[in-house]
Parts: sequence; structure tokens; C-alpha cells
Amino acid sequence: MRHYENLVIVKPTFTAEEIQASIKAIEEVITSNGGEIATTQAMGMRKLAYPINKNERGYYHVIYYKIAPAAISEIERRFRINEDLIRFMTIKYDTNREIAAWAKLVEKAQRPASAQTKEPIEMAAIAFEAEEEE
Amino acid sequence: MSEKRKYKKRFCKYCESKVDFMDYKEVGALRFSLSERYKIMPRRLTGNCKRHQDMITIVIKRARAAALVPYTVTRKQVVTAPFENLR
Repeated sequence: MRHYENLVIVKPTFTAEEIQASIKAIEEVITSNGGEIATTQAMGMRKLAYPINKNERGYYHVIYYKIAPAAISEIERRFRINEDLIRFMTIKYDTNREIAAWAKLVEKAQRPASAQTKEPIEMAAIAFEAEEEE
Repeated sequence: MSEKRKYKKRFCKYCESKVDFMDYKEVGALRFSLSERYKIMPRRLTGNCKRHQDMITIVIKRARAAALVPYTVTRKQVVTAPFENLR
């Protein structure tokens, strides 16, 4: 079992129910291949940094899971066929440090939304201060 | 010249705050190592250490693939939507 994270971007033209249905289908693909989903994080509808297949927006969803490495190729094959997705990205967490970070990310995703939004802003504030000092 | 002076004091910001792992989803934190055209800033200007520069390049490339950060910004985009996506 190895730790993975998958980011999927669902088409923006769907209604809310259709999006939820396609996300459920995506999670089904992972679980049916023997994966254990730790947690999921919905980042919601966002503006894309650049248009993908003429889509300006997309629904971001992140899934953290554990699975045997051999199953990843099958999952990616299924994602590639899936026409609901405009983009997907699989990230491997391999070293001990990365696995610790994975656990931290899972914990963060499980906390309520109010606590979640705080941290990136604080990080940005720190970065901004450092810039000003120079 | 002005740019040179801006980055004169060299120290690794990430070492100072003891960053162990960077997440590509926190786009605000990547802003420091990106130029205003969203190029990756070189180490000689930001003062990042080699280890953290390697980390940040991987993370920025991931964020680009996930359409969180643009690959390039044209002149038109610079004027209309500079950092809209970061909010």
C-alpha cells in the first residue's frame, strides 16, 4: 500500500447533482480497485488559470487514498476514458517525510471548513511580510 | 539595477520558517518564487537554498498542471487579471 493523492477537475457545465454523481463514480473506481479512501476535499468551482478544452472554470475535487502501486495504471486508464473530467493528476507520497505531510493534509481536510481557510491566508501573509523586509 | 538591490540580502526564506513539505494547492505560498509573469524565479534572485528551490520547482509545475497557476501570461492577461486566481 502506498499513499496517493488525486486531483480531479470535473466539467463546469454539469449541475450540482451531476457533479456529485460523477465524483461518486470516481471514488467508486478507486475503491473497486482495492483503494482505501482516507478523506476527500472539495475545493469547489474555481476559475482555471488557463482554458482547458475551452472551459474557463472547473470543479476541483481532491481525494487522498492508499492503494497498491500496481492499481494506479488501471485507475489512470479509467480516468482517461471518463469524459466528465477535464483534468486529473495523481501524486505519489513515497518518502517518510512525504507520508507525514500526507497525514497532515488528510487531517487538515477533515477539519471544518472555517479552520481550513485560515491557514493558506496566514502562509500568504508571512510570504508577503518577508517580501517587504527585503 | 533596482531588481538587484531588492534581492541583495540572501537567505533562504523556507529554511528560516523550516518548511518541510510544500503543497501545490496553496497557491498563495508559491507566489514568492514566481515572477509577475509567473515564471519560476531563479535562486540567485530569491536566495532560496538548493533543496527548497528543487522542492518549489516541483510544486509549481504540479500547480501549473492542475491549472492553479498559469504557464505563461500574455500582456493582455497581465493587464486584465494579474493575480485574480490566487484569491
